[in-house]
Amino acid sequence: MAKELMPGQRRLATGSILADVGLVAWFAFALFPILWMVLLSLKSDAEQTSTYFRFTPTLGNFSTVLSQRGTDLTSVDFKTAIVTSVINCGGAVLVSLLIGIPAAYAAGRWKFKGSDDLMFNMLSFRFAPELMVIIPLFVIYNQIGLFDTKVGMVWVLQLVTLPLVVWILRSYFQDMPEDLEQAALLDGYTRRRAFAMVALPLVRPGIAAAALLAFIFAWNNYVFPLILTDTNASTVTVAITKYLGGGGQAYYNLTAAAALIGALPPLILALSIQRYLVQGLSFGAVKS
Amino acid sequence: MGTLELRGVRKTFGAVTAVDGIDLSVADGEFFVILGPSGAGKTTTLKSIAGLVDIDEGTVEIAGTEVTQVEPYHRNVAMAFESYALYPQKTVQENLSSPLRSGRTGAYEGKDQQARIDQVTTTLGINHLLGRLPRELSNGQRQRTALGRVLVRPADIYLLDEPLSHLDAKLRAAMRAELKQIAQTSSTTTVYVTHDYQEALALGDRVAVLRKGRFVQVGPPDEMWRRPVDTFVAKSLGQPEINLVPARVQRGEVVFAGGAGRLPVPPDLTLPDGEPVRLGLRPSEMEVDRGHRDEGEWLQLPGRVVLAERLGRQVELDVAVGDERLIVVEDSDHSPPEGTEVTVQIHLPNVHIFAGGEDGADTPRLGSGTGRHPAVLPEEARP
Repeated sequence: MAKELMPGQRRLATGSILADVGLVAWFAFALFPILWMVLLSLKSDAEQTSTYFRFTPTLGNFSTVLSQRGTDLTSVDFKTAIVTSVINCGGAVLVSLLIGIPAAYAAGRWKFKGSDDLMFNMLSFRFAPELMVIIPLFVIYNQIGLFDTKVGMVWVLQLVTLPLVVWILRSYFQDMPEDLEQAALLDGYTRRRAFAMVALPLVRPGIAAAALLAFIFAWNNYVFPLILTDTNASTVTVAITKYLGGGGQAYYNLTAAAALIGALPPLILALSIQRYLVQGLSFGAVKS
Repeated sequence: MGTLELRGVRKTFGAVTAVDGIDLSVADGEFFVILGPSGAGKTTTLKSIAGLVDIDEGTVEIAGTEVTQVEPYHRNVAMAFESYALYPQKTVQENLSSPLRSGRTGAYEGKDQQARIDQVTTTLGINHLLGRLPRELSNGQRQRTALGRVLVRPADIYLLDEPLSHLDAKLRAAMRAELKQIAQTSSTTTVYVTHDYQEALALGDRVAVLRKGRFVQVGPPDEMWRRPVDTFVAKSLGQPEINLVPARVQRGEVVFAGGAGRLPVPPDLTLPDGEPVRLGLRPSEMEVDRGHRDEGEWLQLPGRVVLAERLGRQVELDVAVGDERLIVVEDSDHSPPEGTEVTVQIHLPNVHIFAGGEDGADTPRLGSGTGRHPAVLPEEARP
């Protein structure tokens, strides 16, 4: 007979060991592509197609990607592509925040007939596959001179990021007690100042989260820059794939190195705003 | 002049009617309490006065001027929120000075402003907390700061939304006394919202009982206590709740508890034979075995103590009288043990007679038992 457990005593470890093993296996499975990419980025041209784990590691791929040789191979300067990506995505996030924060506040605070439909409509932009709109966009961009420009990229990327920002922040504003703004109104502040003084500081963690997610979405976007840019406004995602050769010599090791470098800016951004992400929402101001 | 007039104020949120045509007149300097359960529309009424919700119908008049379309700040009211609503990133000092430096006042600057804050913080005993942020304060301290933000501003009307609800019992009693004192010295018109009947009776010059967005009864505390218009008001005042006992009129007597209790139908009531009624007996107005009582003045009911629950100075007795159970509150030094046969006594004028009705339905008060002397207000209901 199995030994009876005391109330609250943990069950025998077998189950939890199995669960742990399962978790580790899943973790390894999920991280394997990244590990493979790291390994690939350290392999020389001669070893790049080998599937062995034994090879002579080199950092040469990284310097190649960032040097003139990389540019010669792909006709795209990777460093410029990074800068362009930062400008495009930063611009898109900035525009999204400038428009999205007041929009989210309004959407969170004012209920009117059709307000939910309006919000759903906005979200539905995210449902549509980018490929569906890319041909008309290509034609329009060519006609109005936005093709291969940073302004054009900011404009199209904020279509991706704005709904995200509005939807994330709307829920933050909805969760925020209205009493604080009402207290400010009674204290003599205008609605705008009450928003700036009371509401904005409280949703800072939300803004950080929304900005980060929006940046990542914009950064990872491939279809828009692929079709709507050439060399002037080409982004990291497009630049990375150039190492695959497009019919010529494919450099998997350089692709991996470029992808790893390309993953750094969002990572740095995430680390730098981590402090705000974990900040509590209401700081003990309101009794919940 | 801090008078307040509400006429036909109505506010709905979708299909829910929060305030349903309220008329109210509060005199200058009056301490007016709105009492009601959760969801009765208390906060919406207060916010309608403050202009924080746009009312659908009706008018609001403050100090003789109609302000229905006026912005909150220009109504010159100060409000304490149930949630405190202190600015989290600002210190106590900054929170308190906020109403004085919002840019639209200008009345208090520099030294005057600080003097005003010092005066209020000294009254509330929070002058040592000025440098702290709200998150560094205890509940009681936050409550005082929220109250301070109201008092610091010279307003026509103070609106206080359950300002004591989050405090523990001891602190609440202390703050209640302080509030009473502050209200008396400041003599500013105050509308105070609460769900606690003791606060309502102790603080209010007048009390209004609110149910489903409508005032059921408005009046001075002792009148509300003695002559509740219906069972809802009677149940709203008093803890434990008033005992409501089904009864029937038989040959000039109101008979209840399976015949164990009888009292004469008061001469001012015409109740036909067989008419169902309900008797309201307040636990705090009943006594147990207090010796000889005048039969003509007192209702005396034989019963047995089923349960005696000691609550400090008082004991809550569950007494079986005939086929009914009555809750009686007695002094704990006068508590018969469980199982004892006792006589429950209540002064006839303290017996409320309500119209008969289904359990749970509220019915109007018809009158009270008749004795030779008027009822005496118990200690808990005295202001």
